[in-house]
Amino acid sequence: MSAILEVRDLRTQFDTLDGVVRAVDGVSFDLARGETLGIVGESGCGKSVTALSILRLIPPETGRIAAGSSIRFEGEELTGLSEQEMKRLRGHRISMIFQEPMTSLNPVLTVGTQIAENVTRHLGLPKKAALARAVEMLDLVRIADPGRRVYEYPHQLSGGMRQRVMIAMALSCDPQVLIADEPTTALDVTVQAQILDLMLELKEKTGTAIVLITHDLGVVAETTQRVVVMYAGRKVEEAPVEALFDNPLHPYTRGLMRAIPRLDVEADAAGTRPRLQEIPGLVPLLTRPIIGCAFAARCELATDRCRTTPPPFVDAGGGHIVACWEAKP
Amino acid sequence: MSGAPVLEVENLVKHFPIHGGLLQRRVGAVKAVDGVSFAIAKGETLGLVGESGCGKSTIGKTVLKLIEPTAGRILLGGEDVTALKPGAMWPHRRRIQTIFQDPYSSMNPRLSAGTIVGEPLENFGIAKGKDLEARVVRLFERVGLRPDSMRKYAHEFSGGQRQRLGIAKALSVNPDLIVADEPVSALDVSVQAQVLNLLIDLQEELGLAYLFISHDLGVMRHISHRIAVMYLGRIVEITDKRTLFTNPLHPYTEALLSAATAPDPRRKRRGKKIVQGDVPSPANPPSGCHFHTRCPYAVAECKVTSPPLKEVAPGHHVACLLR
Repeated sequence: MSAILEVRDLRTQFDTLDGVVRAVDGVSFDLARGETLGIVGESGCGKSVTALSILRLIPPETGRIAAGSSIRFEGEELTGLSEQEMKRLRGHRISMIFQEPMTSLNPVLTVGTQIAENVTRHLGLPKKAALARAVEMLDLVRIADPGRRVYEYPHQLSGGMRQRVMIAMALSCDPQVLIADEPTTALDVTVQAQILDLMLELKEKTGTAIVLITHDLGVVAETTQRVVVMYAGRKVEEAPVEALFDNPLHPYTRGLMRAIPRLDVEADAAGTRPRLQEIPGLVPLLTRPIIGCAFAARCELATDRCRTTPPPFVDAGGGHIVACWEAKP
Repeated sequence: MSGAPVLEVENLVKHFPIHGGLLQRRVGAVKAVDGVSFAIAKGETLGLVGESGCGKSTIGKTVLKLIEPTAGRILLGGEDVTALKPGAMWPHRRRIQTIFQDPYSSMNPRLSAGTIVGEPLENFGIAKGKDLEARVVRLFERVGLRPDSMRKYAHEFSGGQRQRLGIAKALSVNPDLIVADEPVSALDVSVQAQVLNLLIDLQEELGLAYLFISHDLGVMRHISHRIAVMYLGRIVEITDKRTLFTNPLHPYTEALLSAATAPDPRRKRRGKKIVQGDVPSPANPPSGCHFHTRCPYAVAECKVTSPPLKEVAPGHHVACLLR
């Protein structure tokens, strides 16, 4: 299956008072048609900046995608496109949803107007037809009574409904790729479950490929097919979801999995609480160039080689790769 | 477990008035907490779990007497403190301390970390001078911070270290109970594990009790001994952790457990029992059982009768007409 999105050696940097922050530092991955790819990592690992880079939403005053980075969408290089050309892509062929829908919705326009606006801009539908499309989309995301809701304002909707509206808007022009950055993090668990189900169901219906960015390994496990694990701006491991959870190879991925308090692991009869595994230390500062492996300072397996030479990707077979000198695939 | 419970709450009610109209008359109330009772024994962790607006944080603030309850009783170590004015409450404040989700917002940015941690000791007149400093050093060591970081300011610490500072401050006056309101929700998992382990170690060492408020069932399962599930101001189920996870009886508990994600790709989403709809507003909760609008098993009776919290097995209480 050919990739719809190919990211190669992506480097995104920001200028700050403390120096240049290398938020994304040489990340490569492919997204296949109709696939759900998870990008997972902790705060500051560069997962959201990766999403913003693909959409070319890095503020030019402070940040840039470094020369040599490549983002190809259906074979077309995005890094060289003008803002005008990007505007034709965004919301049309590549769409996005973010964590807090309220900040992405215009509070003074009805949700119908906002969805219709997108449809009119990209598909050239007249106003009436665009509004009809908005009703159709609200129905698709299972908002009850869409003919009435279409005239409501964002503040009249609950958090879960607003995220449904964002999904309706994002899918209104049949995008090939949907980038979802922590789409359920601000929602309650029962509502999160509804939204995840909705996204998966719509993906099957429309064939839209999804990049799901999250810190939550539970969400990744239950919704994605393939996973990229990021640490300190770099990809450290990539694998099909079952392989990653069955056999995590990178010491960081292993550490993460042992650090989660699990719901599905039975406590022993006495009810004693097994200790959670801690990952000692802190994420390295991204203002200084990282020599060697970014995780070396926190890794129990680290050797001198890890501290001096960046590890190459080792192929464990079946699409499972890991950047570690010491991992035994 | 001997003696009076560390904390007892009886029929606690907290309504926040809603004012409206030209004269700002009282037009209604948000029933944040609507008749809640529970007790916490020495050395025990009671988890309060529920979704936004269920009243779990309001309970935390009310038992700390940061806000006054509308009705009900709060007993600390068997003593009724419900009606105490701030001055009379003062000596009791040593026994009940708190840690927050974002400790940074409760720390004076212009004070050094050592001063922040030592402040309660000074306020309560427990220690001063060299003794104070020695105690603060011990607290820093106890929570895994280097004592030489005492002179740093709060902004120089990472999120996890700030939470350690918050814990050190709460521990300084040797409380019996710590109210922990989402203490690890803002932390990354690797750091979250460090803080949870620290809280458990401290409990085992010092016999602390926790009222642990969280929306995260995984964290709850890890740290709690007993768990109370809340929905729109009421406890719908309360039991020991093992029973709650293996034999949940309230349909809402069932829905919460089913909706939670687990790091296991074979536990696929399809076939999960997902409740529909959003949590209704606590200003206008549904009649009868608050959950009946979303409950897959609801019958006509549920719309009219508010189910009492019944003991269905020793220590296992459920508020559902059908169980």
